[in-house]
Amino acid sequence: MKFSVSSNDLLKRLQVAGGAISSNPVLPILEDFLFRIENNQLSITATDLETSIITSIEVMADKDGMVAVPAKILLETLKALPQQPITFTVNDDNFGIEITSAYGKYKLAGENGEDFPNIPEADTVDTVTVPSRSLLQGINNTLFATSSDELRPAMTGVYFQVDFNKVILVATDAHKLVKYAFSDVVSEVSTTFIVPKKALNLLKGALPDGEEVTLSFNKANAFFSFANTSMVCRLIDARYPDYNAVIPVDNPNVLSVSRTDFQNSLKRIAIYANKTTNQVILSISDGSLTVSAQDLDFSNEATEQLTCTYDGDPMTIGFNARFLVEMLGILESDEVKIEMSSATRAGILLPTEETEGEEILMLVMPVMLSN
Amino acid sequence: MKSPSILIPRLDTSRKIIHIDMDAFYASVEQRDDPSLRGKPIAVGGGGLRGVVAAASYEARRYGVRSAMPSVTAQRLCPSLIFVRHRFDVYKEVSSQIREIFHEYTDLVEPLSLDEAYLDVTEPKLGPHSATLIAQAIRTKILERTQLTASAGISYCKFLAKVASDINKPDGMKVILPDEALAFLSALPIEKFHGIGKVTASKLQRMGIRTGEHLRELTEIQLVKRFGKAGRHYYRIVRGQDERPVNPNRIRKSIGAERTYSENLRELPIMKEKLAYLTEKVFDYMKKTQNFGRTVTIKMKTPEFQVFTRSRSFNSEVRQLGELRKVVFALLEENISEVGEVRLLGMSISNLEREQEGDGVGIQLLLEFPEEEE
Repeated sequence: MKFSVSSNDLLKRLQVAGGAISSNPVLPILEDFLFRIENNQLSITATDLETSIITSIEVMADKDGMVAVPAKILLETLKALPQQPITFTVNDDNFGIEITSAYGKYKLAGENGEDFPNIPEADTVDTVTVPSRSLLQGINNTLFATSSDELRPAMTGVYFQVDFNKVILVATDAHKLVKYAFSDVVSEVSTTFIVPKKALNLLKGALPDGEEVTLSFNKANAFFSFANTSMVCRLIDARYPDYNAVIPVDNPNVLSVSRTDFQNSLKRIAIYANKTTNQVILSISDGSLTVSAQDLDFSNEATEQLTCTYDGDPMTIGFNARFLVEMLGILESDEVKIEMSSATRAGILLPTEETEGEEILMLVMPVMLSN
Repeated sequence: MKSPSILIPRLDTSRKIIHIDMDAFYASVEQRDDPSLRGKPIAVGGGGLRGVVAAASYEARRYGVRSAMPSVTAQRLCPSLIFVRHRFDVYKEVSSQIREIFHEYTDLVEPLSLDEAYLDVTEPKLGPHSATLIAQAIRTKILERTQLTASAGISYCKFLAKVASDINKPDGMKVILPDEALAFLSALPIEKFHGIGKVTASKLQRMGIRTGEHLRELTEIQLVKRFGKAGRHYYRIVRGQDERPVNPNRIRKSIGAERTYSENLRELPIMKEKLAYLTEKVFDYMKKTQNFGRTVTIKMKTPEFQVFTRSRSFNSEVRQLGELRKVVFALLEENISEVGEVRLLGMSISNLEREQEGDGVGIQLLLEFPEEEE
């Protein structure tokens, strides 16, 4: 088997797929890309058995066939080559691969493509179509809030709730929670599933702008297809916690403040906070928000005052500054609202103006003041 | 002459610390309550062939019987040794009696165990402003109220007080004044330094370091290179520098339980059953005290007394019994083939959340999701 392809085009496709390859694969063949040629289409597959990416590119081939190619050495070769046509010649008996560039020849040992694990096929029964931009936005808004606590597997992924023409994404690590909903969706189903963090990180890197993404799923896997690429991931088999139960309903104290002023203030004050809790204290009364922090171990202390609109009883509440800064960075509106009830209940962070067709709500648990 | 630089500048010697240590506590309680045992070599705990000596009377110590020694070995060393079952309820009761006495003099009491405590009597609530007289008064009161003897060490820091209480044991006391500290430490054999364990002591001895004087010749850098963080501690204590306060609310660093079994355990299902029981006990305690931890450790001791510990840490605290059990079982299953048979199993939790709490440091609260059925 022999085929020619542009080195740069191939590299781009390999970089998309390569994200699925584990740094510490359980089987040697999982260090490889599976190359499969059918009618001058080269499909490239990479997998860690949990998440797989299949992408394709047009090539000039003398016949159909397949081979497993060591990923690392191939990627390094292509990165080191200036853009040019290259030719792969595969020995169909021993799977030896020879790459020819304008400079010379490179030989590497491939493996039998038949040994490459099978990738689950998408069921086409239930599908959801979403614009890539909405999905990307959803991933960006939620991924940061997922947990890395392997004891609670459900929380290590993002919860997808598909409800006909609306998709709700939820992520939480029990300290903070994000719920993001978007409605430019075409679907005839109502279902829920949990997508692992790694898959969404890969998707984030692979999603093109301005394309439609078709999402389908069965009990075990989710399939995302767009343009010439598709991703399959094993779903997290766990029950997602009842997140609605933790969203407080009665929050009489409402603070409105400029998002960027608040975020910048927190970034400065956090420098002076205790490094394990990142605790900052918000003292809020009519028209004035005081942000302060101290680290008794080092005698560090800082205070700033911001103007705000406040409706409620004067209150003092502690938060992890890192969480607030991260969450404020996700929002886009000029002003944000924080709804609170007491210093030991979750605060709700909301944008003051919502973007059409989107809804976002974030929760953050306070740091309880010790004195 | 050594240069005076061995003295730490601004060494604070103004505090008055007492270390009180009951003499052969468990064994003495048993001898007190059963006159037929008095004057005889007795060992508390581990009756039968499998046990371990929890405490030995002074009569037994003369034969070389020590605590933590297998009962079989102890019996061989001292054929007339009498084994007595422990009565922890009684020891706890006596312990609270002596703590009451401590609190008559100061509230800065840091108990180390049932029979041992540090007291800071820099500003006593009662009695003369002399730590020596207070220590004497406490020992007299202990004898009057419990008919048991205690030894005391008195100095300006915890380390020296602790070392001192051992000097005239039993039923004695020793004062180390600030001026005497360096001379005392110079002459102290390396294995007597509290905090320098057996292994470190023999390492030091192989380096030709047999006393405090020799130890003081090593630089801080040399000690840290050899012994890590502990090296810094050694550098300081050998110069009589120990600022650790007497902490009346000592924060627990770990919560655990272990058991020595009457027969070696060979089969995994039985080990799991035993560990499940310990895990449940430890979990109940964590729940009661609302103090959960991030690191789970299991301990396995072979019939040859080789100890294996294996642990796993998580990003957040383990808060559910089912999760904790899963981790404990996994640690056991992953490591048991290397260990084989066990005579003892234990499990503990460390990296406790309460450990993080201190002055002005808040506690990150968690969203309370409704509990799921398993």
